[in-house]
Amino acid sequence: MKAAATAPARRTDTKIGKRQQPKCLKCLKRYPDLYLMMIPGLAFLILFKYVPMYGLTIAFQDFNIFAGITGSPWVGWANFEKLIGSSEFYQVFTNTLLISVYKLIFQFPVPILFAVLLNEMKNMLAKRTIQTVIYLPHFLSWVVVSGLFTSILSTPSGLLNQIITALGGEPIAFMMEKSFFRSVVVTSTIWKDAGYGAIVYIAAITGIDQEIYEAARVDGAGRIRQIIHITIPGLSSTIVLMFILRLGQILNAGTEQILMMYNPVVYEVGDVIGTYVYRMGIGKMDYSFSTAVGLFESVVGFLLLMSGNFLCRKLVNRSIW
Amino acid sequence: MKIRKTAEDILIDVISYAVMGLFGLITLIPFLNIIAKTFSEDWAVVSGKVGILPIGFQLDSLEYVITSSRFLTSFLVSVIITVAGTALSILLICVTAYPLSKKKLWGVKGVMILYVFTMMFSGGMIPNYLLIKNLGIYNTLWSVILPGMINVFNLMIVKNYFESIPESVEESAMMDGASHTRVLFTIVLPLAVPTIATITLFTAVNYWNNYMGPMLYINEPGLKPLQLYLREIILEQSDAVLSSQSVDDQLNISSEGVRSATIIASTLPILLVYPFIQKYFIKGIMIGSVKG
Repeated sequence: MKAAATAPARRTDTKIGKRQQPKCLKCLKRYPDLYLMMIPGLAFLILFKYVPMYGLTIAFQDFNIFAGITGSPWVGWANFEKLIGSSEFYQVFTNTLLISVYKLIFQFPVPILFAVLLNEMKNMLAKRTIQTVIYLPHFLSWVVVSGLFTSILSTPSGLLNQIITALGGEPIAFMMEKSFFRSVVVTSTIWKDAGYGAIVYIAAITGIDQEIYEAARVDGAGRIRQIIHITIPGLSSTIVLMFILRLGQILNAGTEQILMMYNPVVYEVGDVIGTYVYRMGIGKMDYSFSTAVGLFESVVGFLLLMSGNFLCRKLVNRSIW
Repeated sequence: MKIRKTAEDILIDVISYAVMGLFGLITLIPFLNIIAKTFSEDWAVVSGKVGILPIGFQLDSLEYVITSSRFLTSFLVSVIITVAGTALSILLICVTAYPLSKKKLWGVKGVMILYVFTMMFSGGMIPNYLLIKNLGIYNTLWSVILPGMINVFNLMIVKNYFESIPESVEESAMMDGASHTRVLFTIVLPLAVPTIATITLFTAVNYWNNYMGPMLYINEPGLKPLQLYLREIILEQSDAVLSSQSVDDQLNISSEGVRSATIIASTLPILLVYPFIQKYFIKGIMIGSVKG
């Protein structure tokens, strides 16, 4: 398994090597220690990143764990045909897209809004305090965040249901209710990551030339017009960039988060590709099929990222690398 | 120069302070709620009266949690994973980043492409799981430590910093006959301390919070890190499990109180390092965003 996976890497090496061999040999002779230092990292990279990529070939097999990759029979596209024909996958795919799109609509703009508003706060103490608070949840694990939300949303004694009852309403089992589950997922993502997400935009705002604001003020532009005509345009290329990165993740609706928050009652609305792969692969040990599902996710994500990046370079002349 | 505030100025002030203040409050409320539940008397927790302030005061829940052997074992496992994983990972990243920061070195570009590609495409859950099984490190702490050792984003941050160090600094040492390894450890690394501190804290937080890794690769109860233990505690919906653990009758604790106390106790290490992280992470993100 190991030898086979290193093969493609070696092949690219020799291809470049042939073209520039003299230079290469000279380099190797002159700086052997520098090349030696690259080896441990490359070994880890190949073993833990490229060997699993080779392992994706089991998506085209009827994989048997005892026979291994070399001994399992090839079945061509059978797993993908099963995937396309499966109504369960259709449901999972729809859930994934819906949750991702909801996150894109409701979560994506929030950090931009925060960055703009924080930039308008002139009291440094208040600004720093709020930044300290809103960045914090990003550093908690999803286990902890789901614990906090389960506690707040529990029936009948959770804080939110206490408020609902006090206002005369009926307690709602948010985590158990199909109609609320996706909202809980999106809300908890905003709670956890929106504050931290603002940092990138704050950094971009810092990069805007202060003289432009100065000039706008002299010309009589108020703060609203400064935001619309200076701050937002100054953020636009960062926004496009972040949007593309997010687009590449569209089939990853937050596996760990949903794994923490869902339960069989809400599978119908909450089961996404990542959790489906986990349930089919680790739970039912259907390795080939779940790998096919995973490969589908990876390929779509990669293609979206590449085409998004291509568009980004054309539109705002920035790219992700 | 004092400028009179216009109505527009006041409007923007009100909106920005109100919206950000409100979100700050919303961020804090779950923490206050869980802290209140940890320290409130059990009857108040059970009857659902606890809001953001404790009702009564007791330390029994917290004491029950931090003296329970399951908590202590998993806490220790998490500490081992975090310390070993972070140390090995940072060492590996520094050693890897150094040759990659030599732009003139043949092959560096190709190797970087190999690294960056893994940020965009990965084998995914099942092939990784099978790899861990095949390597024979399933059910060992190595299964959680080793796969996450090279974080490409951190590698790029360190590489970019190394590139920014003037060549003359290293050349003078090379004149005196120092090897590259020596230059890295005695000259380059001391200069990079702030950058390394940043990624060290990030790496440590990642190892501490890692859930998917241990969930997939560790089955042995004695080797389960804190996040897995915490997950089990949160899932224990009723008092049944707790009472089967023979809670002392004199201790006035509820399962909700114990759950809250477990969340607090396992989050405490993060809260303790958070001020240090905060000092560095904005800088780290900026380095990343400029280049990335």
